[in-house]
Amino acid sequence: MTIFTIDKVRKTFMNGEMKDEILKGINLSLKEGEVTALVGASGSGKSTLLTIAAGLQPASDGKVLFEGQNITAMNQEQVRKIRASKFGFVFQFAHLVPFLTVEEQLMLMLDVADTKLKKRQQKKEIAKILKLVGMEHRKDAYPASLSGGEKQRVAIARAIIHKPKILFADEPTASLDSKKSKDVMLLIRDLTKMLKMATLMVTHDEEMLSYADHVVKMRDGLVQ
Amino acid sequence: MNMAWKEMKKNKGRFLILGSIIFLVSLLTFIISGLANGLSQDNAALIKDLPNGQFFMTKEANQTYNLSKISNKTQTSVLRKHKDAVAFSIQMGFINEGSGKQRSVAFVSSTASPLFSKVNKGEVVLDRSLESDGIKIGDTLTNNQYNGKFIVKGFVDQSKFSHAPVAFINIDDYKQIYRIQEMQLIFIPGGDSGETITGLKSFSKDQFLNTISSYKAEQLSLNMMVWFLVVISGMLFAIFFYMMNVQKIGLYGILKAIGVKTSVLFTMMWTQMIFITIFALTISIALGQVFNLIAPKGLPFSLTVGTTVQLSLTFLLIGFVGATLSGIQIKQVGPLQAIQQGEV
Repeated sequence: MTIFTIDKVRKTFMNGEMKDEILKGINLSLKEGEVTALVGASGSGKSTLLTIAAGLQPASDGKVLFEGQNITAMNQEQVRKIRASKFGFVFQFAHLVPFLTVEEQLMLMLDVADTKLKKRQQKKEIAKILKLVGMEHRKDAYPASLSGGEKQRVAIARAIIHKPKILFADEPTASLDSKKSKDVMLLIRDLTKMLKMATLMVTHDEEMLSYADHVVKMRDGLVQ
Repeated sequence: MNMAWKEMKKNKGRFLILGSIIFLVSLLTFIISGLANGLSQDNAALIKDLPNGQFFMTKEANQTYNLSKISNKTQTSVLRKHKDAVAFSIQMGFINEGSGKQRSVAFVSSTASPLFSKVNKGEVVLDRSLESDGIKIGDTLTNNQYNGKFIVKGFVDQSKFSHAPVAFINIDDYKQIYRIQEMQLIFIPGGDSGETITGLKSFSKDQFLNTISSYKAEQLSLNMMVWFLVVISGMLFAIFFYMMNVQKIGLYGILKAIGVKTSVLFTMMWTQMIFITIFALTISIALGQVFNLIAPKGLPFSLTVGTTVQLSLTFLLIGFVGATLSGIQIKQVGPLQAIQQGEV
């Protein structure tokens, strides 16, 4: 089922006096339980598209529809609420909060998503998700003591702990070696299916495309 | 989740350093403020301990009280109109003990008033600091310009002027010593009534204190030090949080991207600021009070609860302003900027 639609999205930047059109009318749909990979050369507009879809920057034209609501027409606070409760994010780097333990990173996300779970329920949920990502034994560890792969697993756990509908992943394996990259991609694919999320992932690594259900190639601001 | 507390717990060293700097600055501020208060008491307790009211001296005196000579006619008319008003004079002078030892005092003489010690002819009431110097009730003191002798009738607490103990003497004795018939000042208690008296200039208590040249210079320099320290502590907060925030710009961006409100990040910073300030102030107030108790008797030091509370609130306020100014970056940082940045 389609839960997310990008409809004729354009993005234009002013480069001095010149107009620079990064996205030239993109259409894209995301379905539940499917991973969609965006690929393309540097400057093709894939990261810009991901950030517009995630409500991190506005589009110059077009619509982004999530569960029937046009998020491009919403104010910042409304978009923030959707980001906090319905979207999950995984970035190139884990970006974990250095002074929180693994368990606390996930607790923070549950608070931000306003899940209203009591502490005991939070801990139960966290234990479940940490088991899914294979990090239950490191729940009391601080980020500084985790390896790159472990950090990214925790980042994935943080991205899905509040059961988002959409997972946005921007080069999630770029900082990992090939073995860890494969582990992370397997995890993202399995979690997407298990939690019935739609995942939109930007990657430049052709090897990772085998884990995607759909591959969207971009070139010069257009889908090929 | 209390992120502010968790960050402080994880980075104890960093926050302890800031806390100890704030502690040292605030302790220094309390001590200098205690000295300023103490010196101000030592310099002008006689005037400071009077109730609020209006002081009058002649216009010709040009704000120098000891050049003022209020005519008897004016004095009589004001005292008749205001029953609680008092005319008084202050002159620096010396008293000689029986042993020949000479002591500097401020002779004060006034018309009858409950605000000043009542003294009969040939008697003197002294500030208690002279009692601890060995003078006793019943002792006989002399003055080179006075024909008779003064019998010490009693002592009063906290009565000093221009860093000298006050000696209250009878108005007739005063006139004999200084060969003068007029009083220098008239005081009408009870706030600023807007009363004007022909030929006289009116001063509030604070204005009058500032006409005492040594008082003004002393307080100005000490208060300047106190406020410099307060401003320095505000700057310390601003610099510390600015540096912390610069280090955490990427993290803030990511937190914003995942949906953390900007207000939550500000609250985190304010909580840390308030915690550090209260922690540092508690220790410095305690030490300041201990110093108040153990300070040598000769050291003019007075740290009142009012001053402590006022300075503490100022520290909190200035810390808040400093931290908030540095936190403007938090508001400006965008999630995109952080995503494009490397690992925090």
